Amino acid sequence: MTHLLIENLHASYGDKVILNNINLAVAQGEMIALLGPSGCGKTTLLNALCGFMPIQSGCISIGDRKISTLAAEKRNITMVFQSYALWPHMTVSQNIGYGLKVQKVERAEIETRVNELLSIVNLEGLQDEKVTALSGGQRQRVALARALAIRPDVLVLDEPLSNLDAKVRLNVRHEIKALQKKLGFTSLIVTHDQEEALVMADRIAVLNQGQIEQLGTPEEIYHQPKTAFVADFMGANNKLTFSSLASLQQQISLSSLTQSKMQPSFSNKSTPYQVFFRSEDVGLTTLSQDHPKLHNETDAIRILGDVQQSAFLGGSYQISVRCGKHTIQADHHENLLEGTPVTLCVPAGALHIF
Amino acid sequence: MGVKYWHQVFNPYSDVSSALISSVFIAVLTVIVCLLVSVPAGYALSKRSMPFRAFWMLLFLIPQAFPNLTVYINIARIFYDFGLNGTLLGVVLVHSVHGLMFSVWISVAAFSSTDPMLERASRNLGAGPIYTFFHIVLPQAMPGIIASCIFVFLESLDEFTGTFFVGAPDITTLPLLLYTASMEGNYQIASITALILLVPSIGFMIIINKFMKPEMLSKLGK
Ligand SMILES: Nc1ncnc2c1ncn2[C@@H]1O[C@H](COP(=O)(O)OP(=O)(O)OP(=O)(O)O)[C@@H](O)[C@H]1O
Ligand SMILES: [Mg+2]
Repeated sequence: MTHLLIENLHASYGDKVILNNINLAVAQGEMIALLGPSGCGKTTLLNALCGFMPIQSGCISIGDRKISTLAAEKRNITMVFQSYALWPHMTVSQNIGYGLKVQKVERAEIETRVNELLSIVNLEGLQDEKVTALSGGQRQRVALARALAIRPDVLVLDEPLSNLDAKVRLNVRHEIKALQKKLGFTSLIVTHDQEEALVMADRIAVLNQGQIEQLGTPEEIYHQPKTAFVADFMGANNKLTFSSLASLQQQISLSSLTQSKMQPSFSNKSTPYQVFFRSEDVGLTTLSQDHPKLHNETDAIRILGDVQQSAFLGGSYQISVRCGKHTIQADHHENLLEGTPVTLCVPAGALHIF
Repeated sequence: MGVKYWHQVFNPYSDVSSALISSVFIAVLTVIVCLLVSVPAGYALSKRSMPFRAFWMLLFLIPQAFPNLTVYINIARIFYDFGLNGTLLGVVLVHSVHGLMFSVWISVAAFSSTDPMLERASRNLGAGPIYTFFHIVLPQAMPGIIASCIFVFLESLDEFTGTFFVGAPDITTLPLLLYTASMEGNYQIASITALILLVPSIGFMIIINKFMKPEMLSKLGK
């Protein structure tokens, strides 16, 4: 059931168009990640939802309540700010209880609810601290509790984890996800970290220059990127550009089997082809390309090259292989000497061709 | 100099006591008038979207741009038409013209140094603009506002020229008394009055030191 509906949303700062025809339907209890590079308009979208900036055209509604023309305080969409925006002159519980106090909820009830929230976000015992005395992770939780206190229709989070150090970030990431499952709130979370989006979201909307490039489940976004931008952004770190199959052949040596494999993927088009694939999908072998073992896996392309560089990543080595004019990254379990001839094997399913 | 002059000065019926009382009374009223203008004006002018922002800011500086005497003589002339000369209100107003320069500029700086996100967070949680102003914005700007009150208070206490043209001879403040006392060669009374004038200045300067954040002034140009 659609809960939050954004239709044909346009917004701009002066002449500069920031959001260009955003359409998004969010189901009750769903968590959507807005993923995109810096400056693509993620924060602007949240600001438009919360009523912090006027929109040019389009409609935002929650259920059958149209909210796009309401003042910020009437929308019942709460935000966890990137900078947390906690009020330094108030204690933790005053911060959390603020929204309820504004609604003139009775004192005793505010206290019960605040205590309930403190235990939900694991901050028991800190209620009388000034927020300035808290650590980054604790402030983050206060901000979350404060936003949840008034039981908003939609919760939006603007890069809630970006100010935390790596280890705390992993914990909080899981905590937020667990909390969202438990309480069932509808939420939009902004991030530019693809892993964060994959782990936390039910669906991901990839934003580029104020437009949604692709909307889908994490699996769809990861395995079936619809545009070159999405493939690139979702970590396909190998990219080969060429104008025709013949020109590709000039640049890298493909085995004969490969040519027939790749042929059907290419239709005639005027723009150059772009092929994306991830280093983790590249099989690397030092066996010669005619070795019978290689022919077991049939649905794959084979590229010949030699080792240019090798970098230790902890779990594996990332090997840069020079193949004609191109350099291809491949993950491999052992270190290889520079100049070693290798055969790269990429399953057809791992190739994203645009 | 003997203790007898101190007795004379602090005698409840002495000129000094009544001048002290009217000085403080005028200073307090001036602070109130300045606050009523500078808090809303400071908040509005701290918003960069405010139209003619630079013009309004400069407007409060204009009285300082001309020689004091010229300004005050003209003010006195205008006040005369309104029957304000020789009244408490007239003196308070002339002090406010001077005090507003400090209080508006310091208030703008104080409001500019508050984080606009804090305001947003409040609106986001259901609070209207007025509730937000009093519960979130004003507490953030408070140190600056208090500092501006202190400046205005001290400036009013020390003010001579404007009081002289608008208030004399009906209103006597400490600086006017100091002037008359020294004119009459009454140097003992004059020295004691000068000392009294010094006390609040020193006290408040210590407080200001604690309240003013240097970053407030740096935000002025924003
Ligand atoms: N107040 C503003 N006035 C003018 N332009 C702005 C303003 N705020 C943002 N922009 C512009 O709008 C565009 C989108 O900004 P936005 O803050 O939405 O990006 P973002 O996707 O949140 O990026 P980041 O990941 O860096 O936070 C940027 O090009 C930015 O320069
Ligand atoms: Mg942002």
